[in-house]
Amino acid sequence: MATRVDQKMEGENLREQLSLAVRSIQWSYAIFWSPSSSQPGALEWGEGYYNGDIKTRKTTLVMEMNNDQMGCQRSDQLRELYESLLAGADTTANHHVRGPSVALSPEDLTNAEWYYLVCMSFIFNIGEGLPGRSLANGQPIWLSNAHCADTTLFCRSLLAKTVVCFPFLSGVIELGATDLVEEDLGLIRHVKTTFLQNNSYPILSQKPDYSFAQFRTEVLHADLPPLMQDEDMGLVSPTASSNGFDLIQLPNNAIFFVEGGLNEEAASQAQSWHLNDDELSNCVHNSMTSSDCISQTFVNPERNAPSSPKNEAANFPSLLEEELLQDPLSEDLHYQRILSSIFDKTPQMDMGMSFHCSLGTGSSFVRWTKGGIRVSEFKAGTAQKMLKAILVEVPRLHDQPKEDGVGKEVCKQQEGNEPSSNHVLAERRRREKVNERFSVLKSLIPSVSKADKISILDDTISYLKELESRVQQLESCQELAEYNRKNKRKPQDMEERTSDNYGNDTNVGSKNKRRARDNDEDGQEYNQVSTKDSSRDNTIAISTVDKDVFIDIRCPWKETLFLDIIDTLSNLHLDTHSVQSSTTDGILSLAVKSKVRGRSSLSFGMITQALQRVLKNG
Amino acid sequence: MENSTQESHLRSDNLVTYDSPYPLYAMSFSSGACRSSGAGQMIAVGSFIEEYNNHVDILTFDDETLTLTPNPNLSFAHPYPPTKLMFQPSSLSSSSSSSSLLASSADFLRLYTLQNDAVVEPVSVLNNSKSSEFCAPLTSFDWNDVVPHRIGTCSIDTTCTIWDIEKGMVETQLIAHDKEVYDIAWGEAGVFASVSADGSVRIFDLRDKEHSTIVYESPEPDTPLLRLAWNKRDLRYMATILMDSNKVVILDIRSPTMPVAELERHQASVNAVAWAPQSGRHICSAGDDAQALIWELPSVAGANGIDPMSVYSAGSEINQLQWSAAQPDWIAIAFSSKLQLLRWLLHYGGKG
Repeated sequence: MATRVDQKMEGENLREQLSLAVRSIQWSYAIFWSPSSSQPGALEWGEGYYNGDIKTRKTTLVMEMNNDQMGCQRSDQLRELYESLLAGADTTANHHVRGPSVALSPEDLTNAEWYYLVCMSFIFNIGEGLPGRSLANGQPIWLSNAHCADTTLFCRSLLAKTVVCFPFLSGVIELGATDLVEEDLGLIRHVKTTFLQNNSYPILSQKPDYSFAQFRTEVLHADLPPLMQDEDMGLVSPTASSNGFDLIQLPNNAIFFVEGGLNEEAASQAQSWHLNDDELSNCVHNSMTSSDCISQTFVNPERNAPSSPKNEAANFPSLLEEELLQDPLSEDLHYQRILSSIFDKTPQMDMGMSFHCSLGTGSSFVRWTKGGIRVSEFKAGTAQKMLKAILVEVPRLHDQPKEDGVGKEVCKQQEGNEPSSNHVLAERRRREKVNERFSVLKSLIPSVSKADKISILDDTISYLKELESRVQQLESCQELAEYNRKNKRKPQDMEERTSDNYGNDTNVGSKNKRRARDNDEDGQEYNQVSTKDSSRDNTIAISTVDKDVFIDIRCPWKETLFLDIIDTLSNLHLDTHSVQSSTTDGILSLAVKSKVRGRSSLSFGMITQALQRVLKNG
Repeated sequence: MENSTQESHLRSDNLVTYDSPYPLYAMSFSSGACRSSGAGQMIAVGSFIEEYNNHVDILTFDDETLTLTPNPNLSFAHPYPPTKLMFQPSSLSSSSSSSSLLASSADFLRLYTLQNDAVVEPVSVLNNSKSSEFCAPLTSFDWNDVVPHRIGTCSIDTTCTIWDIEKGMVETQLIAHDKEVYDIAWGEAGVFASVSADGSVRIFDLRDKEHSTIVYESPEPDTPLLRLAWNKRDLRYMATILMDSNKVVILDIRSPTMPVAELERHQASVNAVAWAPQSGRHICSAGDDAQALIWELPSVAGANGIDPMSVYSAGSEINQLQWSAAQPDWIAIAFSSKLQLLRWLLHYGGKG
């Protein structure tokens, strides 16, 4: 009863166990690796149950977890597909022919299913790969693939976030989940309980060529002593068993064996034992990728063999680095080779690797190789010359006129077209220029009622008139200033002119010269007053436009006079904007621009009187 | 019309060359229905001469004898170099088997009827300018293959115009971009995308003209995007090329702004890009390095970028690239004054 029990477990019964186990924990798949019948000492695909996502047509459906029939059917279909593809790869003639019974085609698979499918092609030697090492060590191995996994790797890194292997019967059960699951021995125990509860098979079984783990539900560690025939493993066993009865220690043991598998050397293992828990779990997190990779690269034993001595160095960090450096590549190769051997000539691949197309006799193209065709000399010149010409230069050619008749111009004669087109072109340019100038003009006019050309011209006319009148005002101001300056230069003349006002200080306002001019456009009033007080050499000239008041004062310089004048203006409700002053030969010249504050109204008299008072008193 | 010398190492049945008297730019394969008439597939080529007088020649390609025969009767003069030529999509041509429509863009959108061995008749010149005096030059257009009376044009005046060519009327005109619009491509009946000198790829839905979606912006602001190709086999993907760049940017419209892949194996700037008509995962690009590269897009990009699977080296800068929808084994390229048809067979082989 004990031997070869696993053989009998094939088929529905084992499938049933796996399905119950994996569905109870809601993981993605369960695989039973059974001892290979063709290669003694190796593990091959025994049975599997797929419990992950299913792609139906183009949508990915999350399978209902309790639908056992569906899961079994899917698992069957996947196996069928694998076999049909394998057969297709062997017979190179009929690549495109797939068995009619195959319900699935490669395009229908999700990534998880691909992973599951590819797993079918693996064969593990004892001690190699996760299942192999688990079997060899008789210990569960829990790989919760950390985020350190290189995402450019294939589905392996995408999918096998968590892989657990533990020996079962003469083989190994592998459970996988696409989620990251924290290490939990209770879960393994639960799975085993499920198995045990649902099967009548003996827990113990024997294989002639090697020892293996035996499981009991409660006491996981009880199986440790009768380990391995390997001498290095034998060295470990006592240590392991000494820890064996402590359930809490078990997770560390399990972790340890991931490392142990890498090293396969008792010394290093013994060394590892002394690492504390934290270090161990760190190591494991770092080694996730590498140990996972190893499980895939074992197929190249020649390659792995030389690397084993290096592993003996027992230097964890450097070892891990090395593995990490090497393994992505080898995993790539392996994965690609497996897939290409399976899916040779499959028309549509939905996987992440590129399949080289066979360039048979019928193609003008050759296979691209890196640096294969070096284009050494590029013609000097613009990049994308013609493309740019089409997009940028050619549109500029179109500044030519179009004939009025739509549809008539297709076969125009160049000769007849040329002169007229030149004329019309010139005309068009002229119009464009006119329009451009109009828009400039428009921007210069402050009050434009409408945008049409007539309005612009009307507004320009009125604005020009307004400007003209302003110029006249300013010129008259200037005249006055000139006049005053002349007077200054000719004192006799000034005396003569101001003699009228002599001794009539108090009533200057009535005798002011007054000029007023109405602006017919906007009704602005322009007033100007000038007052001369010859006796004191004081000249006051005042002019107003609307509320603007311009004051020119000329008087002998006195201390604080300037400030007094400004104060006086301020008291008169005049806001002073600018003041120009100069003192030459003891005469203060003051030009003040100010504005009447608020609504107050001022007469010239008020301003003049106030200023005169200041000038006298000061 | 046989192989050019630099291609002598290739077998002649993989390659057909046509030497034009003029430099060539615009090019189009006729749709599949034309083959049923027995005349073989037609190819229209437009000259590139930077002046008013230009030409459109119609060639007939016979894939049995591997010959490209010009049809002088069908050649016609074209005002300015056509920025694009396009035969009517196949869905339309079934209605009138004896003739087919050819559209061209330059100063206007023009439509020509090609009768069997008969004179080309201009059908209409479509000008959307009301003044009919000046129309903003068109940089490209695309024929909607779902609604075959619908053509979208794009212009340097920042607009895209949607025409109903049966009625000869403008369906709508959209200010699509901030700068010149350089290319337009239909996704489905009422959805199109455009690229522009403003460096953006935008998607428009005619049902909601107020809004557009920016699916990509060139990394350095205002690097113009020159051409756009929408994958007709898998509408999630489109490809665009940048000014003075050796990159082909592959976009997944479901994940805007981040390109899913950048194909960077050209050794000089890229001039043209075309998706395979028979497969949603293959794309061809051609550039100033005189190479035409065929890429297979993996669903997961490797760390070192994506390598092309096949390469063809032409004699000089390749300016134009078209992939025959009717005969997907054939890709046409234009370089200097040559048109070349290249055979490419999509076969998977593991032995590599």
